[in-house]
Amino acid sequence: MITAGLADALRSIVGPRWVKQRPAELTAYDSDALPGYRATPSFVVLPASRDEVIAVVRLLAQHGVPFVPRGAGTGLSGGALANDAVIIGLNRLTRIHAIDAGNRIAHVEPGVVNAVLQREVAPFGLQYAPDPSSQSACTIGGNVAENAGGPHCLKYGVTLNHVAAVTVCLPNGELVQFGDPASERDGYDLCGLFIGSEGCFGIATDVWVRLLPVAPAVRTLLADFPSLTDAARAVSAIIATGIVPAALEMMDQATIRAVEASIYAAGYPTDVAAVLLAEVDGLEAGLDADARTIERCCREAGARDVRIARTDGDRARLWQGRKKAFGALGRIAPHLVVQDAVVPRTRLPDVLETIAAIGARHGVAVCNVFHAGDGNIHPNISYDASDHAQAERVHAAMSEIMQACIDAGGTITGEHGVGLDKLGYMDALFTEPSLAAMCAVREVFDPDRRANPGKVVPVHACREWGGRR
Amino acid sequence: MSAPASPSDLAARIADAHARRAPLRIRGAGTWLDAGRPCAGDPLDIGALAGIVEYTPGDLTITARAGTSLRELDRVTAAEGQWLGLDPAGAPEGTIGATVATASDGPLAIAFGRVRDLVLGLECITGTGEVTRVGGRVVKNVAGFDLVRLHTGAWGTLGVISEVTLRLRARPEVDRAFVVTGDERASLESRLAPLTDLPLAPLALELLDPALSAALGLARGTCLLVRLGGNAERVDAQQRALGALGDVREVDTAVFMRLAADEPSDALVARVSHERTRVAETFRHVLEFCGTHAQWEPLVRASLSRGLVRVVLPISSTRDDVAAANVDWPSFVRTIAPPGAHVSWERLPAEAWPHVPCAVADTISTGLRDALDPARVLNAGLLGEPARRADAVPRADARRVLA
Repeated sequence: MITAGLADALRSIVGPRWVKQRPAELTAYDSDALPGYRATPSFVVLPASRDEVIAVVRLLAQHGVPFVPRGAGTGLSGGALANDAVIIGLNRLTRIHAIDAGNRIAHVEPGVVNAVLQREVAPFGLQYAPDPSSQSACTIGGNVAENAGGPHCLKYGVTLNHVAAVTVCLPNGELVQFGDPASERDGYDLCGLFIGSEGCFGIATDVWVRLLPVAPAVRTLLADFPSLTDAARAVSAIIATGIVPAALEMMDQATIRAVEASIYAAGYPTDVAAVLLAEVDGLEAGLDADARTIERCCREAGARDVRIARTDGDRARLWQGRKKAFGALGRIAPHLVVQDAVVPRTRLPDVLETIAAIGARHGVAVCNVFHAGDGNIHPNISYDASDHAQAERVHAAMSEIMQACIDAGGTITGEHGVGLDKLGYMDALFTEPSLAAMCAVREVFDPDRRANPGKVVPVHACREWGGRR
Repeated sequence: MSAPASPSDLAARIADAHARRAPLRIRGAGTWLDAGRPCAGDPLDIGALAGIVEYTPGDLTITARAGTSLRELDRVTAAEGQWLGLDPAGAPEGTIGATVATASDGPLAIAFGRVRDLVLGLECITGTGEVTRVGGRVVKNVAGFDLVRLHTGAWGTLGVISEVTLRLRARPEVDRAFVVTGDERASLESRLAPLTDLPLAPLALELLDPALSAALGLARGTCLLVRLGGNAERVDAQQRALGALGDVREVDTAVFMRLAADEPSDALVARVSHERTRVAETFRHVLEFCGTHAQWEPLVRASLSRGLVRVVLPISSTRDDVAAANVDWPSFVRTIAPPGAHVSWERLPAEAWPHVPCAVADTISTGLRDALDPARVLNAGLLGEPARRADAVPRADARRVLA
């Protein structure tokens, strides 16, 4: 139960400043980066250390109060929203405990911002590979909770592939370690299981991330296409050559125009149907040959022009347009719905055509900006939620788009997480026993279902599970 | 009883075993039956659940029944210029189900990732006979809790894998292997030091001890076995760079298949893992340990960038050699790894296992077994017999950090 006494007890743990309770203070926490979902937390607690996190979680356990862990709130699934629950913000846990360059590992607190970590490891010639587009704000703890990806995960993999170990404050306040920073161990892969658990299994208080050497050389290309289908065919052709590009990103005309009309203008041609941003990196030797192969694939698929970034400045500008595309789209209309489906890569051309047809049928404008190399599409619709008829059309179109992706053999989320937003699609994707098994696993970590309740797995799926017969 | 011919047959068999509280021993090709701790139970053969379910080369993914052999996967993908990039020790007749269940990998893991990095989706039958499907068939997927990672490396104790979807890679345009030999009098550290700054991105880079080098006919001392792939220009440049490490000689890439397949199937096997910066130290410790502690000449190799040393003691884990050697097992299993390193045993004689700490005895691991195999019918005892949740102790992977 949430009582005045509980708030006082929390203040005595974290200090009076760090329990937020006034409506004006709570407003900042009533949504994440996906507008359209709003919920006001009972209050927000901001611990400053691992010990404070544990004390807070233990206190909430004693009172039986649900909680929602939160990083920077840049998530795109409504996952960090709290309804009748306390938000535990991890933003004050920002210490980088150690960077071990020889063993290529960094020990960080969960509130460390992704881009800050990148900046701190750069002097060692190292990088932390996952680079979500929100990296200037999003935190490592949030990246772990969502198993975040980013444009460069095509070659380097997602958060799962780059975390060696975590310490976790379980929902009962017990601290455990999953994985080991110094060695590979046998036993269940609890670290792997924890990554992407969206705050339902507890709170990571320490994360050991693996670091990679910065690639000695890189080539970035921009190809433009008269049709989205041609661009998708180029993607398939590139993947088929065996070259693993560091990134392979696509933007359609609506997105290009939004970017070029914004302060993030990158010099993309606005008269084409799609641009493909391709990057190869690695050893200098042989890299130009790979770039030429990619250029050939693009031209054979119908590219009008292919250009290669000549300078680091050129390259940064090409990337800025891509990384800030969501921000640019946000200027068009008050609301933006962002999807995150993944389809088998050979299905990209027909799925993109299907999506365009669905948009046209419902009279909504779908724009696409996405990680083409992985088949991870982000169909976005800008709209005005105060126009109820329009909002309903958007909702109907999105449901059909998701179903089309599932029908194509795909999934409903590649990197944003299920949260609240995709909860309704889980039944279409997973069988009842599969969802029940997920619930059973969740209960091992959180038998009282107090950690981020109501997210990821639909509640009805948890009712029956034969596992405890 | 006959082998299950379909996932639903398999599910029925497990549900029946659950109802009768009758333990099962899961079997693929049978090459791993003497690995892990002694494990009784009615054999449950998944070998009949074999074959490719779906393979669209353009997607670079493949879905296969668990009983499909690695050889068959290699054959099917090679026809499309692709491969799995997974080369675990053992015969190619080994199944993909067992490979995933035991999370077995090999030298290529430094380039393509470990098994946990390659598995995209699973069909898995729980210990109560529920057919679950987790993950998916696409290369990027965060929908739902990641039970794929949970089952990978769980040795079938949380569910029996019946189908697997995997990420594939295109075979490199050029694929060549090289042996590098150097001054045997120099320290291992000084011989390996140039590696830090060399422009190398190898597919595999293994350090082989003199016995293994000789067994493969590669060299008379310690050598490096390197596999380079990519376009010709990239491979040539790396071949030149290898010169900084010693004398470079090209060998047939088939040596990597022999490295995997020639390992005696009943040998004692340990993997010793430590920080990558200490790999030479770990390697030397293991060699010295084997020299003083046992009379058996080991075959030792290390995946340098992983800090992982694989030790094979080519004696039978079941025959009389072990008894004759009169080994002090408690000390043996503890001291093969240097302080701070972790040892994972694959094969040991039955009398040695009680001295190896159970890696799944913590409260979370025990809880997961209670949830997914409450009657403990799946490979019972194989990973140690963890106590029920009430009396479980936090240790091993999920160690209690603070009281």
